[in-house]
Amino acid sequence: MGGKIRVLIAKPGLDGHDRGAKVIARALRDAGMEVIYTGLRQSPEDIVSAAIQEDVQFIGLSILSGAHGHIFPRVLELLKEQGASDIKLIAGGIIPDEEIPKWKAAGVAGIFGPGSSTGEIVDFIQAQSGA
Amino acid sequence: MLESQPQRGVARLLSWIEDEDPRAVEALQATWSRTGNAYVIGVTGPPGGGKSTLVDCLAVHAAAQGHVLGVLAVDPTSPFTGGAVLGDRLRMNDAQKRGIFIRSVATRGHLGGLTATTRYLVNALELLGCDLVFVETVGAGQGDVEVVRLADTTVVVEVPGLGDEVQAQKAGILEIGDLLLVNKSDRPGADRLAQELRSALDLGEQHDWQPPVLQVTAIEQAGIAETWEAIDAHRAHMEAGPLAADRLVRQMHELEQQLQQKLFRDRMVTIGDDALRSSAQQVLARKADPFTAIERLAN
Repeated sequence: MGGKIRVLIAKPGLDGHDRGAKVIARALRDAGMEVIYTGLRQSPEDIVSAAIQEDVQFIGLSILSGAHGHIFPRVLELLKEQGASDIKLIAGGIIPDEEIPKWKAAGVAGIFGPGSSTGEIVDFIQAQSGA
Repeated sequence: MLESQPQRGVARLLSWIEDEDPRAVEALQATWSRTGNAYVIGVTGPPGGGKSTLVDCLAVHAAAQGHVLGVLAVDPTSPFTGGAVLGDRLRMNDAQKRGIFIRSVATRGHLGGLTATTRYLVNALELLGCDLVFVETVGAGQGDVEVVRLADTTVVVEVPGLGDEVQAQKAGILEIGDLLLVNKSDRPGADRLAQELRSALDLGEQHDWQPPVLQVTAIEQAGIAETWEAIDAHRAHMEAGPLAADRLVRQMHELEQQLQQKLFRDRMVTIGDDALRSSAQQVLARKADPFTAIERLAN
């Protein structure tokens, strides 16, 4: 299609550690993508409505607080409700290894835990968007 | 999708417009008669001047007055990678919570403070029923005055501490403001800056509309109601007379620009790379001078 890859990076939950989210935002920018950075303490409703308005292909969530058990299903559900399930959800932060298969089955497209390189994430997004 | 899911449909149309996808032209042609209903407020000023925070406050204020509005927030694209981090939305939490449609827009190489397609982005927002659109420019310098070609009312945001009074005398963005705001007025030097801006305006040519200088502190919501009143006053002034003529001049300029681009592209295709290369070789070898070469290529 030749369109730009646009990615929304959000930091849901109550912890304030947004270093990781900022590093990812910068890496995606350097890979030529347009990154909408929405900052801290975003609710699933905020995230999905911003993703729709911004017409992104990906939502990237950074979650360190353990709140993913609540946030993943809610974001996926809202995307479905609003007919936007084509927007892919990816996540980074602290997500226990043993839970990863479960979340992937539920519809989270990619999960990148500690130790993932920014290059891996860039490659994943480019591959998924067919670029 | 425009009918069944207006937000998604318009969001997609905005992307097509930005990507210069041919589907954008089709969609705009099909809906053109339904556009043209929004009053456009441009907000410009230096980077870090608090434009996004101010737009957030003004948007929420305007929504409370019953306006249906949208926000276009422009940020620069990296000239090196073509990527961008668009962070204006970060400062627009209150507007977002109210459901105001906000779109972050990257310049994609366009200079002048906006993007090549901002006009059509406004039209797309009009399809959501917006009667008011805020357009926030990139952090603007003295030459980034393109916003006046788009906005019905232009708000210039200044902050204390950036320069001395000579700055206020310089040509550029200070001349385009229908309203001048001194934001961060809780900081030292704000009163003086406001004073300097007022005297700079007094020295200039007097017009039917004399831009007011207001002091605001957006982060504390101070001066927002007054700013909105001043915007409304300017709008009333425009609608009582100059607006129609102004819009006509701007539309002519817009058509001229796009026509220029089209004619240029078509002509370059006709001329072709080979003719261009051989002319360049002749100029370099001093067999032709550049002026004659250009005349020859152009005719």
